[in-house]
Amino acid sequence: MALDMRLPTVRKTVSLSASAFDRKDLVVPGDIITSDTGFMRGHGTYVDEEKLTASVAGEVQRVDKLICVRPLKTRFNGEVGDVVVGRITEVQQKRWKVETNSRLDSVLLLSSVNLPGGELRRRSAEDELTMREYLQEGDLISAEVQSVFSDGALSLHTRSLKYGKLGQGVLVQISPSLIKRQKSHFHNLPCGASVILGNNGFVWLYPTLGQQEEEAGGFYTSLEPVSLSDREVISRLRNCLLALAAHKVLLYDTSVLYCYESSLQHSVKDILKPEVMEEIVMLTQQKLLEQEG
Amino acid sequence: MAGLELLSDQGYRLDGRKATELRKVQARMGVFAQADGSAYLEQGNTKALAVVYGPHEIRGARSRALHDRAIINCQYSMATFSTAERKRRPHGDRKSTEMSLHLKQTFEAAVLTQLYPRSQIDIYVKILQSDGGNYSVCVNAATLAVIDAGIPMRDYVCACTVGFVDETSLADLCYAEESGGVSSLALALLPRGGQIALVQMDARLHQDHLDTLIEAAMTACKGVSKVLDQVVRQHLQEGSTLRE
Amino acid sequence: MLKSKTFVKKTRAGGVMKIVREHYLRDDIWCGSEACRECKQESTVLQADACIESNLCPYPHYVVPDTNVVLHQIDVLEDPVIRNVIILQTVLQEVRHRSAPVYKRLKDMIQAKEKLVYTFTNEHHRETYIEREQGESANDRNDRAIRVAVKWYSQHLKADGLKVVLLTDDQGNKEKAEENSLVVYKFDEYVKNLTANPELVDRLALSKDDKAEIISSKVLFPEHLPLSKIQSGIKSGTFLQGTFKASRDNYLEATVFVQGDGAESTEVLIQGLQNLNRAVHQDVVAVQLLPRNQWVSPSSVVLQDDGAAKDDDMDEDEEEKALRISAAEAAGKPTGKIVGIIKRNWRPFCGMLNVSQIKESTRHLFTPADRRIPRIRIETRQASTLVGQRIMVAIDGWPKNSRYPNGHFVRSLGSAGEKGTEEAVLLLEHDVPHQAFSQNVLSFLPKMPWGITPEDMVKRQDLRHLTVCSVDPPGCTDIDDALHCRELENGNLEVGVHIADVSHFIRPGNALDKEAANRGTTVYLCGKRIDMVPELLSSNLCSLRSNVERLAFSCIWEMNHNAEILKTQFTKSVINSKASLTYAEAQMRIDDTNKKDDITESLRGLNKLAKILKRKRIENGALTLSSLEVRFHIDSETHDPIDLQTKELMETNSMVEEFMLLANISVAQKIYDEFPDCALLRKHPAPPPSNYDILLKAAKSMNVEIHTDSAKALADSLDVAKVDGFSYFNTLLRILATRCMMQAVYFCSGMDSDFHHYGLASPIYTHFTSPIRRYADIIVHRLLAVAIGADITYPDLMDKHKQSALCNNLNYRHKMSQYAQRASVAFHTQLFFKSRGILNEEGFVLFVRKNAIIVLIPKFGLEGTVFFDSKDKAGPSLVFDEEGPTLKVEQTTFHIFDKVKVTISLDDSNIQHQKIRMALTEPVIPGVSVAAPDVEPQAKKPKVDH
Repeated sequence: MALDMRLPTVRKTVSLSASAFDRKDLVVPGDIITSDTGFMRGHGTYVDEEKLTASVAGEVQRVDKLICVRPLKTRFNGEVGDVVVGRITEVQQKRWKVETNSRLDSVLLLSSVNLPGGELRRRSAEDELTMREYLQEGDLISAEVQSVFSDGALSLHTRSLKYGKLGQGVLVQISPSLIKRQKSHFHNLPCGASVILGNNGFVWLYPTLGQQEEEAGGFYTSLEPVSLSDREVISRLRNCLLALAAHKVLLYDTSVLYCYESSLQHSVKDILKPEVMEEIVMLTQQKLLEQEG
Repeated sequence: MAGLELLSDQGYRLDGRKATELRKVQARMGVFAQADGSAYLEQGNTKALAVVYGPHEIRGARSRALHDRAIINCQYSMATFSTAERKRRPHGDRKSTEMSLHLKQTFEAAVLTQLYPRSQIDIYVKILQSDGGNYSVCVNAATLAVIDAGIPMRDYVCACTVGFVDETSLADLCYAEESGGVSSLALALLPRGGQIALVQMDARLHQDHLDTLIEAAMTACKGVSKVLDQVVRQHLQEGSTLRE
Repeated sequence: MLKSKTFVKKTRAGGVMKIVREHYLRDDIWCGSEACRECKQESTVLQADACIESNLCPYPHYVVPDTNVVLHQIDVLEDPVIRNVIILQTVLQEVRHRSAPVYKRLKDMIQAKEKLVYTFTNEHHRETYIEREQGESANDRNDRAIRVAVKWYSQHLKADGLKVVLLTDDQGNKEKAEENSLVVYKFDEYVKNLTANPELVDRLALSKDDKAEIISSKVLFPEHLPLSKIQSGIKSGTFLQGTFKASRDNYLEATVFVQGDGAESTEVLIQGLQNLNRAVHQDVVAVQLLPRNQWVSPSSVVLQDDGAAKDDDMDEDEEEKALRISAAEAAGKPTGKIVGIIKRNWRPFCGMLNVSQIKESTRHLFTPADRRIPRIRIETRQASTLVGQRIMVAIDGWPKNSRYPNGHFVRSLGSAGEKGTEEAVLLLEHDVPHQAFSQNVLSFLPKMPWGITPEDMVKRQDLRHLTVCSVDPPGCTDIDDALHCRELENGNLEVGVHIADVSHFIRPGNALDKEAANRGTTVYLCGKRIDMVPELLSSNLCSLRSNVERLAFSCIWEMNHNAEILKTQFTKSVINSKASLTYAEAQMRIDDTNKKDDITESLRGLNKLAKILKRKRIENGALTLSSLEVRFHIDSETHDPIDLQTKELMETNSMVEEFMLLANISVAQKIYDEFPDCALLRKHPAPPPSNYDILLKAAKSMNVEIHTDSAKALADSLDVAKVDGFSYFNTLLRILATRCMMQAVYFCSGMDSDFHHYGLASPIYTHFTSPIRRYADIIVHRLLAVAIGADITYPDLMDKHKQSALCNNLNYRHKMSQYAQRASVAFHTQLFFKSRGILNEEGFVLFVRKNAIIVLIPKFGLEGTVFFDSKDKAGPSLVFDEEGPTLKVEQTTFHIFDKVKVTISLDDSNIQHQKIRMALTEPVIPGVSVAAPDVEPQAKKPKVDH
């Protein structure tokens, strides 16, 4: 079997325009942002001797009087309404613990899920005992952030038919900061696969289903074999996602789709080669620019 | 046979540096995709890799959780091939436990842990090649990794070892100097405020010399911080320009 | 600044290890020349008009010697004529590796301002650093590095009209340098053409080519094995490593001390020229043991290499045969042969020249004063002037086809037999460092005029108001102690011992300190003093002279009238001594009842306490032993001894001594409490019981019982040992007891567990009171200063291994200084007897040996041996009884303590080894004793020097 092996090469430093180089809005920990006391302290800053100081390396963002520093890369900072993809790590009394790439594991209360049998079903003690039958450790789910606890932990719910347990598909983990916030994070792409772009950086790729099985209430997973062509499409999408992430391109339906289209001239496995990656991403960015302008 | 002459009459050290000069420092951030933060740092021939995971839910005994801040978990290790003599280095030997503890103390002083109650931050450092000043190199590498992970810190933590020979302080000792009977001191500094995060020293030294030695160490740390600063800013530029 | 790096790989024994070290190359290393306009240097060393008058290089130039030139020709390089020298770092490092003494001299040379020596750090210079090439040996690489540096220099300075001359003795190196169009000369070539000092030529060490001429084709010695083979041999056990010790009496015999694991060590006997194989005394050598059937025992024959009579390459088979025969008799000891030299331990040797019989010859043999050193062949044109002079010669090498090692003349010490010369010789032979202090050392002295600054006062107690005085022997200029005593308001007495604060001036680690640590002690010879610290300190700033303000380290006690210590205080202080007295002056003041001044009162108080202290000490079992110390009255003009006098002890002597002991003990306790691991202490081990045998036997012969179970018992029994009508008996007994004692030594408290000082009966002791003349005291001062927070410490002070190494040096220096002192006394005794001719004196038998008796002449404190046998004629019948011990000569029996009469004369038949000779006159033994005291000295000697 032919293996493609290569030695590490020096990464090309992207040529930076001079103006980009001394951008004032980039700060590092310990940098004083302002000594004006009129501002409010936001994320990524702290006050040291009455001076507003950065505590992370990143971009300064100002909203009115609020100053935040957004780091390049960070854990998921959930907000109410965010769509997340997560993995069950623990089954507890009346709740599941879900790993969602945030600083603490999120909570999915038994009361926040739709159980089979309709929305108005009473939750009995029996349900508590059979929680594991619905979701067990290792299962992937899609959910929405219901509320945020004081310590930063998230409370999730799946009380909509679009959320629930995920069946066959591929999970891609990327930095949450690369997911573009949009109206919808569920997309059925024209190329024949669907994608859930979780705000937490977990992206779920799965074959587009013919119709939703309503009765299952989100807990039924189809174990039908997926066709080869679908699998290939999904694999290609996965590699495209990685390529975009590697070049720090924001992910949303259009960018994913354009990237997919740009990659079609290469075989699936070749997409991960750095030079191919670069080429595809360049093409994608070009297309995005054209579309915008 | 005479021992090594650590500082020649002309003022040069074994490797040609002057007393206050640091070794060449090179670093890169974000070397691993799967970790939250990572960095690779070379200080002369001492090379270290640091990886940060977190903050995340506490793994293992949940009782360790602190209700008001995050706990920092450090692990220091040396690669089998890191020294001239190949040696298996089991985890948890006395030296590396001590080093892990020092790292933990250092970063507890710098990371704003109170922002993340009941969570845990893992810092793993591995020495790939050892040529003196392991502690300092680990601290410097870990600082970059923490910054890469976007974890808030008061300031950089920079560390440097200094030694005292012939009434002169030598900055950033290499292995030959460290083993040449110099009383050495390792110091971790938050350079902007000048707060000392950790001082560690096991040799004998009269307290009257301590001030000059600490002074020299602080100057050296500030030198290191300049280099780290450049690395971080460079990394930041790259990251932010690409995204547009 | 440019930092780039390359990697130096090294392998070390015991498996191959790759060691990677960084090596930064810089572009801010300047050339050090005044003329250069390119380099941005702040100060320059080398002159722009560098002129050494020379026929060879008439233009201004700098010289660059290579490593071998520095190693072998340092004698010449040190000459003030040679200036504007560039020492490359490569050379400096190689020298450092290869020879510590040369390295030190080289460093002194670099320090000396007027020599204009610049050290160029070529290994870290961007343009002169080179990497070792494939297949290139380390030496070749260094040679190339030197050439590259010289090349760089010559191009660098071309514009400024200066040339750079490479000096090398290596032909290959020279040729390669010429290929690179460098100016290069052989060292001797260069030196011979110097117009300023033609005598320098004599100091040249022989280079390899020169040696080739001398040598006859015959190969005399087996080849030495290369070091790598020796090392593998030692590892596998086929060879042994040890120190070569030549025999004093037999030049064909030597032993090698092989240090085994732990305490076990063996001695290997080496016999015969072939087996000795060019090893010289003190070399570290590799030995191969001979098969057991060739083992021999040391011969009792005395053989001296009297090569003057014989031709150099005459067969020595005969002598060796004689040796074999005598050796074959007894059961053999381990015997071996030298297969290689691991480390030469050559130093310059003192001796005299044997002028060659061929008149025009420039090659001569040199006979060292030390019989263990072989004779050395040197080349000199000054032979006629050097005859009869004591000279120093250094060995350059010993080729395998030469009977004698080759060497070169270093310097002349003066005419043999002259006082100055002989003093120099005995200093050299006892390894007493006595050169003038180097510039580097002197640069650490305080600048004059010196005064006490307010900063000094802050840390010190002001004791200037106290009535302090010093009591010393007459003529003493290095006063390191002073005393005071006063009555306190509460009726108690305050006693202070004030010691010169030498550690204030000598700061740890600087050149002055290192020099003092190396010297270890001041050496007192008759009429001469070899200072440990420069005179400015020893006789001025540190000397507690009267009526000047001096810094001191004080130990102050509060005592009651029974001399019990109530309180002890140590402090750095400032004092102003009110009087410097001699022992006699002090005694007079105490005795003069009319005197009532402060000083006298203070002295009386001290004296009273001292007596109590002494009594207590003796009650505790301190020994008072005796050794006869003689003092020469030296003629103030000729400096020749005119009379001998045994030292007289006064009350004041012991008064000062008591307080010094007390101070030493107090300090010892204090520093040991503070630094249990690294206190420098002094101990005096109890002698093993067998040491006392001779004393016990001797006493028993006079029916006196001596108890040696403890120091106390010994002291008591010595006190009561008296024989009627023999007043000198007790003194003799004490002299004998002294001989039984062990040496007191310095040691580091962390390295030993036995602290007891036997002689003083003190559980702990150290030296604190003479920092001007003993280095140990300086260390103790530093420790004490740290203990009371008056000074800061430094790493070496707290390192018990370094401390221990220092103690070894101090003990060695101390021992050697005592030997030198004795040798000096012996020499002066000789001078004295030379002027007196033959004397007839009464003496006592001190020891009885198998073939001789040792006689002590109380009048001169002189000991001498009377031999009864001789080589050239049949001796009298001798019966030695070990039990007595007694020796029966013909009909007369000698016991210890017998009174005899002897004649004393000077035997100067061997100018290098003059000695006092004694011959018996009474009791009269026919054929042994000599008759009248005024016979010709030559005839009187029972035997002439062999």
